[in-house]
Amino acid sequence: MIASIKAEWRKNRFRPAFLIAAGIIAAVVALLYSVEFYQATHHTSAADASLLALYPDQFVNNVMGAGFPLGAAMALVLGALAAGSEYGWGTMKTVLTQRPGRLTTLAGRVIAFQAWMGILTLIIFGVGAGYSVVIVSIEGHAIVLPAAIDIAKGVGAMWLVLSVSGSLGMALGVLFRQSAAALGVGLIYVTVLQIVLVRFINAFNNGSYKWIANLFDGQNASALLQSFTSPVYGRAVAPAIGAEQAVLVLVAYLAFFLIASAAPLRQRDVT
Amino acid sequence: MENTVIETSGLTKRFGGSVLAVDSVSMSVRRGEVYGFLGPNGAGKTTTLRMLVGLIRPTSGSAVVAGHAPGDPAGLAKIGSLVEAPGFYPYLSGRENLKVVADYAGVTHKRVDAVLDTVELTSRAGRKFGTYSTGMKQRLGVAAALLKDPELLILDEPTSGLDPQGMAEMRRLIRDLGQGDRTVLLSSHLLGEVEAICDRVGVIRGGKLVTQSTVQELLGEEGVLVRAQPADRAEELLTRMFGASAVSRSNGSIHLKTEPARSVEINRQLMASGIEVSELRPFERSLEEAFFQLTGEKQGS
Repeated sequence: MIASIKAEWRKNRFRPAFLIAAGIIAAVVALLYSVEFYQATHHTSAADASLLALYPDQFVNNVMGAGFPLGAAMALVLGALAAGSEYGWGTMKTVLTQRPGRLTTLAGRVIAFQAWMGILTLIIFGVGAGYSVVIVSIEGHAIVLPAAIDIAKGVGAMWLVLSVSGSLGMALGVLFRQSAAALGVGLIYVTVLQIVLVRFINAFNNGSYKWIANLFDGQNASALLQSFTSPVYGRAVAPAIGAEQAVLVLVAYLAFFLIASAAPLRQRDVT
Repeated sequence: MENTVIETSGLTKRFGGSVLAVDSVSMSVRRGEVYGFLGPNGAGKTTTLRMLVGLIRPTSGSAVVAGHAPGDPAGLAKIGSLVEAPGFYPYLSGRENLKVVADYAGVTHKRVDAVLDTVELTSRAGRKFGTYSTGMKQRLGVAAALLKDPELLILDEPTSGLDPQGMAEMRRLIRDLGQGDRTVLLSSHLLGEVEAICDRVGVIRGGKLVTQSTVQELLGEEGVLVRAQPADRAEELLTRMFGASAVSRSNGSIHLKTEPARSVEINRQLMASGIEVSELRPFERSLEEAFFQLTGEKQGS
């Protein structure tokens, strides 16, 4: 297992897709902060409230917006590439003819991939925190960070959302044995199909099947991230899905996607 | 220590219920030999090798490779393989790719430089794999197969895509690797390659193993080639001497299935009958002839 983790880490640490994704997610968080800072300092209405939301004590709530759908879509792309390109490059047969068994190899891959999801999460939080410190310094106020437990909760929630989407990408990559189809199907599901289905189910029969819509991973990811909404935006609307339920549903999805990766990898021929 | 490194029994692979890729192959590869797995394209060589390293599962039959079932981690630890085109990460250098493979195999990184040196790729090991030529890719594939210092080396058409010089270098390398106790299973459709390198040969055709023997046995019967004028009279005389079944004629020459030691007698009889002999020499059936005879393929087709 350790050997597999080492190998997976070694090959992913210089992988352009991961490095580019890290750069993009950092740039997006910085851009969002820049736009919000500009709006907050150039509009009179509610400008104070908006500016307060950009201060360090609110940065956890503020960066959660990067998690879904953008962060989730990016995680899905990375997952699909991590699993699917092994088939396209023919590296799957190179890997599987070394010492570790198939499931050990997959376990190493999953652990290294989840570590990358953790790195992306820390980048999001790091850029958010850094930007908020810059803003509060410009405004001449004291730097007050959120409680450590709140930061930990935020990091955990973001990591879970990225991990679920990344694992979906991995499962699709294994299933299709290539990255292109996995990317196409995965992105359509996350950004279009799921949204249309949820709308349809919510509207169908006066919303009596809304509970089904509330089981979709995207709904739960959104609900979990929105549970961190800052009070400075005003009174929050009670979410349809509670944070605890969202966590449970997402963990179930994570387990399902990992099994969906392992089963075909274990059973199928590598041709 | 077991004398057989690979033993298969009725190994069969059927794809999708209809395509019979490998049909009841029972082969055995002995320790320390270089075994040539010979067959035309699509004969089932690669499918068989994939089953031996556990990449695909047989539909029926069994195999023991390096003392273990195919794909067993304990067995894989003793096997180095290059099955079809070498698969590596294009964004990593040759050296980094080998380090990744070494990590998977649980081998120290010190082996990386050693195998790069063996395949003479050290000077280009820092370049990205995606920029490698076909020959360099093949050599890196062999290097990866050598990382574990394996007791069994399985190479699937390692000279595929190489230029003549590259092919010669690769053959020399494989011959060197086959020295000592290491067993090499070499799949190829190149007859000269197998004849030059291998101790024993298995010939596969349409998924079936049609023969398994030493190269010498496969080359088979010795004979005598005669060119003489007039050819018809020469053929008549030789048929009287050796029987019709021992005499055949092609491209103006007569092939006799007999011991080369009888050349003097043949010459004397022909001369005594007033037949002019322009060529009289022993011949061996080439591996190419044996191969085409066994596989039912037409020569030059």
